[in-house]
Amino acid sequence: MKLLTIDDSRTIRRVISGVGAMIGFEVLEAENGDMGIKVLENQGEEVALILLDWNMPGMNGLEVLKLIKADPRWMHIPVMMVTTEGEKDYIIKAIQAGAIHYQTKPFTQEEMASRIMEALGMGGL
Amino acid sequence: MSVANSPELMDKMLNGLRLAVTEMMTAMAMSEVVFAGQESVEAFSLCSEVVGLVRLDGKMHGMVGVSCSKALLSEIVSRIVGLPPEELLMEDLLDGAAELANMVCGGMKTKAQIGDVNLSPPVAIVGQEYTAQWKTNRPTTLFTFQMEEGILKVYASL
Repeated sequence: MKLLTIDDSRTIRRVISGVGAMIGFEVLEAENGDMGIKVLENQGEEVALILLDWNMPGMNGLEVLKLIKADPRWMHIPVMMVTTEGEKDYIIKAIQAGAIHYQTKPFTQEEMASRIMEALGMGGL
Repeated sequence: MSVANSPELMDKMLNGLRLAVTEMMTAMAMSEVVFAGQESVEAFSLCSEVVGLVRLDGKMHGMVGVSCSKALLSEIVSRIVGLPPEELLMEDLLDGAAELANMVCGGMKTKAQIGDVNLSPPVAIVGQEYTAQWKTNRPTTLFTFQMEEGILKVYASL
C-alpha cells in the first residue's frame, strides 16, 4: 500500500514522505493536481490514501478532490485534505466533496502519522 | 485607491499572525521561538537574505512578509524536512521561504476566523544585496521573534 501526496510545496511533500516512511508506507509525490491524476492513472490501484493540498497552481485541491470522487477507478480511495486553510467553510466544502479527514498546516510529525493511521482505519498512534 | 481595513479586523489578524508564527515554528520546525516585540514601522521594506511574501484580498487586504537570514532559514528547513542544512539546495530554500510565509498566513487566517480572505500564492526571494518593498499607504507592523539560531521578522501591512 502506498500513500499519494499532492502538494506544490516540496517541503511538505518531503515531510509527508518522511512520516510515511516512519510508519511503513511508501509515499508517491505529485506537485499539482494534473500530476496527481497521472500518478493515479498509472499506480492508482496501489494507493491507499491521498493527502491533498488545497491551494496549488492550476487545479485547486477541491477541484482535484471532485475529479477523484467522480472517477469509479479512484472514488473508493480515502482523501485527507492537508492545507493551511483551516476555516469552517473550507472544511465543510471538503467534507461535502468527499474528503474524510482534514489536517491543517502546521502539524507535527506525530499528528500527521496519527491522522494517516486513522484515515486508513488502523487507529491513531 | 486602497480600502482601509477595520481596526477590529486588523487586531484579530495581527493577534492571529503572532500566534501562527509561534505555532508553526514549534510544530513544524520543533524550534523554540520567543516573541520579542512588535512595533509600527514606516515602510513595508524587507532586505534580509530571505523573504517570503503573501498577498491578502477579500474581506481583508494587505501583504505579509517573513524575513530572516539564509542561515536561519537553512536551519528551519533542515529541521522541517529532516536533512542536514548543508544538503539543502537553493530550491529547498526557496520552497521553504514560500511555505513559511504560506503557513504563517494560513495560520493567521484560521486563528482570526474572519472569513472570506484569500491568500495569493507565495513569492520567495533568497539572495543578497536587494530590498523588497511594497508601496502602500497601509500601516505596517513589524513582529520580531527570537530563535536560537537568529531573528525572524514578520511584516504585516493590513
